[in-house]
Amino acid sequence: MTVGIVANPASGRDIRRLVAGASVFGNSDKAAMVFRLLAGLGAAGVERALMMPAGDGLSRTLQRQLTSRAPHERPALVELAMPLTSTASDTTRAVERMCAEGVRAIVVLGGDGTHRVVAKACGDVPICALSTGTNNVFPEMREATIAGIAAGLVATGQAGPGAVRRAPALVLERDGAAPDLALVDVAVTSEPFVGARAVWRPDTLRELFVTVADPAAVGLSSLAGMLAPGTRGLHVRLARDRAQAQVEVQVALAPGLVTPIAVAGFEALQPGAPVPLAATDGSIALDGEREVERRGEDGATVRLADGPLRIDVDAAMREHATSVQRRAR
Amino acid sequence: MSAVAPPPATGELTKDQLLEAYRVMRTIREFEERLHTEFATGEIPGFVHLYAGEEAIAAGVCTHLRSDDYVASTHRGHGHSIAKGCDVAAMMAEIYGKREGICHGKGGSMHIADLSKGMLGANGIVGGGPPLVCGVGLTAKVKGTDQVAVSFTGDGGSNQGTFLESLNLAAAWHLPVVFVVENNGYAESTSPNFHQAGVDVAKRADGFGLPGISVDGFDFFAVHEAAGEAIRRAREGGGATLIECKGMRYFGHFEGDQQTYRAPGEVDDLRRTRDCLAAFSRRVTEAGLVDADDLAAVDASVKELIDDAVAKAKAGADPTPDEVITDVYVSY
Repeated sequence: MTVGIVANPASGRDIRRLVAGASVFGNSDKAAMVFRLLAGLGAAGVERALMMPAGDGLSRTLQRQLTSRAPHERPALVELAMPLTSTASDTTRAVERMCAEGVRAIVVLGGDGTHRVVAKACGDVPICALSTGTNNVFPEMREATIAGIAAGLVATGQAGPGAVRRAPALVLERDGAAPDLALVDVAVTSEPFVGARAVWRPDTLRELFVTVADPAAVGLSSLAGMLAPGTRGLHVRLARDRAQAQVEVQVALAPGLVTPIAVAGFEALQPGAPVPLAATDGSIALDGEREVERRGEDGATVRLADGPLRIDVDAAMREHATSVQRRAR
Repeated sequence: MSAVAPPPATGELTKDQLLEAYRVMRTIREFEERLHTEFATGEIPGFVHLYAGEEAIAAGVCTHLRSDDYVASTHRGHGHSIAKGCDVAAMMAEIYGKREGICHGKGGSMHIADLSKGMLGANGIVGGGPPLVCGVGLTAKVKGTDQVAVSFTGDGGSNQGTFLESLNLAAAWHLPVVFVVENNGYAESTSPNFHQAGVDVAKRADGFGLPGISVDGFDFFAVHEAAGEAIRRAREGGGATLIECKGMRYFGHFEGDQQTYRAPGEVDDLRRTRDCLAAFSRRVTEAGLVDADDLAAVDASVKELIDDAVAKAKAGADPTPDEVITDVYVSY
């Protein structure tokens, strides 16, 4: 029985470190996280871990850690044999290979962007989503050892049904392009180029769709959260200037970057119902990263849909504790 | 709560600015492709290290700089020199070792410099640039000007003590400098997998309390956006930044390099899928900001410029033996 591991060597180093003060999450930190994850997986009885090979020193740092520490109850670590392109397609291909090999869960280390790429390729294999930075909404900041135990319990069938739940997603459909997916938000900006990718200039925002409106999140999701806290699926239209604004809210757009944003209006998304995007020349950002350069006349819609299955670490550990107590009695 | 006033968006580049960026990148490409051909004839003395493939980095950074800002370059310096405004014909003559050259033919490829343009020089010393820009930054700070200095270094150079010492100095003295690391996949012939200990280059800034970010070095707009912010920050007294630009060079470490360290088809694949000029052209025309005809006109004028530069360089005069020690030593 095998669990997949995707640790994105490129996550956590975008322009938000410069414009906002987010921290750099280095690859030696990620390697140490994978090391601790393996301890958790092993403790739950996982026999084998299949990992995407990771450049930029990540794999080698991990190997050094594995050889320099005492052997432990760890699953056999196997790296997928695949050429690397140092682009998101590495993750896509790795996840496809893991699914073809029948992994029972995939642990992902990365940001919202990494998880989005995994979610597009993993079908109904549950994801354990771990954040490698200060900037994320979908993955959690969570000790990897515990996440490894929870993912291991799910993978080995020891966890109950409450340990896995369905996450929502937003589906972007454009004329002449394959549908795309976002786990957190879709933002329409007036910036014509994807550039440094991160969305960090509030004056370029035109409209926003979020899966979950969370006022305690950092990023665009928190704007929706300030307007309609807790709503599943919200569409927000931004005002060009303050005169048009229905309301103005202070939003933590990135770690260290709090800025007022003027809102023209907002409404809840009905599941499955496509909403056409405004005819704006610019780019479309998925989960905080500009991905698509678009002319206003190119038709595009967004709808709220079912997303990937994700492992609820708290629920998995609680259920596990309950069953341990039952057995003890 | 206070808000950060954002600078103009990358999308606000005017048509003229976009065409100028394209002209710089096309000039570098044409210059380097032509040198690749001409070097094979044996007519050019010394060594050349070509920058083709990395044009988006030089152009994305230098379009933000004024002529009184400074750059310190590397052994692969033609791109930085062109982007900083050095005379292209004089550069070509320099590489041919002619009196009409930018340093009167005494320096060659690895010493192209023009202080009047803020070009401190190509530099045969790997990791040589970062200490120089600390000096420029200190000068600007002491004199109270708002000048900025940028050093270019490769992934190999980022392992040099000079690079790390300069990060420390720039952080300790809060200098108006930007360290650009052009991670082009190989330190001469060695991949970072073999020469860099388990940390990425952007992360190295962390150890000195500086922001370090990583951008796609094939994407002009990504480099331009990041560099614009770092240079604005330096100019306004915000201190130093490290920007790692991930790219690849199209030619060998030097001309003549057999490149046995590359995967088969690697460069063809890069040229087909990642090329900065192709991507720039496609995106600005698709966005309706520039016409294909405008780009073609730039291509034609650049070709003429390079043809002319090569013809003049070949026809130029060699320095005479009695000039052997002029312009070589400077007394202060």
